[in-house]
Amino acid sequence: MPSDVHSLDPQQLRSWLQGAARRDAAAFRALYDATSSKLFGFALRILVKRELAEEVLQESFVAIWNNAGTYQSQLAAPMTWMATIVRNKAFDLLRRSDATAEIDGEQFDSEIMNALQDPGATPIEALQLSSDAQALAYCMSALEGLHRQAIGLAFFHDLSHSEVAQQLALPIGTVKTWIRRGLDRLKTCLQKRERA
Amino acid sequence: MSMHNLVRNNDALREQLAAEYVLGTLKGGARRRFEGWLHDDAALRRAVAEWQDRLTPMAEFAPEAKPRAQVWRGIEQRLNLAARAPAPGWQFWRSESVNFWRGLGAVASAVALVLAVALTTQMSQAPRIDYVATLTDDKAQTALLLTADSRHQALNVRLVGNAPVAADKTLQLWAVPKQGHPRSLGILADRGAVQLALTSSAIGADVALLAVSLEPKGGSPDPNGPTGPILYKGNWVRAM
Repeated sequence: MPSDVHSLDPQQLRSWLQGAARRDAAAFRALYDATSSKLFGFALRILVKRELAEEVLQESFVAIWNNAGTYQSQLAAPMTWMATIVRNKAFDLLRRSDATAEIDGEQFDSEIMNALQDPGATPIEALQLSSDAQALAYCMSALEGLHRQAIGLAFFHDLSHSEVAQQLALPIGTVKTWIRRGLDRLKTCLQKRERA
Repeated sequence: MSMHNLVRNNDALREQLAAEYVLGTLKGGARRRFEGWLHDDAALRRAVAEWQDRLTPMAEFAPEAKPRAQVWRGIEQRLNLAARAPAPGWQFWRSESVNFWRGLGAVASAVALVLAVALTTQMSQAPRIDYVATLTDDKAQTALLLTADSRHQALNVRLVGNAPVAADKTLQLWAVPKQGHPRSLGILADRGAVQLALTSSAIGADVALLAVSLEPKGGSPDPNGPTGPILYKGNWVRAM
C-alpha cells in the first residue's frame, strides 16, 4: 500500500488516535492502514528479520490501542508518539532475546542518507515523507557525512557513544563531540525552518 | 548542591541530556538518573518531547514495507476488536463514554424542545409532554424525535431525516436499560410518524439509552435484543 501523503496528515492521525481512545475499532483500523507500512519499515530497519519486526509491530499496535487515551496531542505529533512506541518495543525485544541485529553502517548511509546529501538529485518530496521528516531530512543533509552517520547509528541501533565509536573506528571523544555538535546543529536548523 | 539542582540551572546541559536521552546514547546509571528527574520536572519532560518530535521522524527514512495480513489479525484477536464492531450494537453503545452523551445531551435537548413544540402545535387535544428525545446517527445528525405524552399514554415517534429503509427491512425502537436485555418499544414506520404505547419500559428510570436498529421485516427475531446494526441513538431529557 503506497501511503499517500494525505493519509499521514497529523490532523487525521490525531483524530483516529482519539477514536481509538474512545474504543472505536474502525478508527483504529484506519490508523493501522495509514501507518503500518511506515512503522513496519521502521521496525524492519532496526530488527532486520521480518518475523521479529512483525512481532514488534503487533505489540506496538496493542500498546497504541491500550494507551491511546494517554496520548497528549499538545506534547507530540501522532507519528512521533507511535514511532517511539515501535522503537522502544524493538529495542526491548533485542535486549530480551539477546539477538544482535546486524549493524550495517554502509547500508544505512546509502539509501536515503546518500540521496539527502544532494537534495536536488533526489527530491526529498519524492520520498513520501511527512513534513516533519522532510524538514529533518533537509537538516540532516546539511551535516557532515560522519556526524550524520553517528547520529543515525545511535538512533536506529540503540548504541552508546562507545559502541558508535567502535562501529566507526573512531575515538569515543571524537564521536561524543560530533554527536553533540550534530544535535545542536539539527536543532538550530529545524528551528530556522519552522520560523521560515 | 545536588546533581539535579545543578542540571535544573544549566539550560545547555538540560538540552544536551534531553537530546541524548531521546537519541539513546544516554545509557546506564545516567539514563536512570535522568528518568528520575523527569518525574518532577515538567520543563525537562517538555524538552524530551521536543527532541522526540525533532529526531523521531528519522523513523520515516527507513523504506516502507508491508506487514503480512496476519499481523492485523493477531492485533484484532488480542484486543478482541471483532466484539467492538457495530453489528451486535447495543453492548457497544452502552459502553461508550458517558461524557460524550452528557455533551450531546445539552445540544440535543435544545433541538428536541424546538421540535417538540412544532410537533405538538399540530395536535388537537393538548398533550402533556414529559420527556423528549432526539436520536441521532453516527454523524450526530438528528434522525428521530420522540415525545412521551403522559396524558395520552402515547409515545410519539417522528422520523425527521429521510433515510430510506429497504423493502425487506424494518426499523425497531429499543430502550436499553442499565442492566439486562434491551426492551423493544415497537416497530417504526418507514417514514412520517408513528404512535406507540407509553409504558414504564420506555421511560423507566433504568433506561440508559434509546436506540433504533435495522431489522428484518417484522422486527428482530431475537426477543432479547437487536440483531441488526444500530442506526440511531439518544436519550430522554425531561421536557420541563
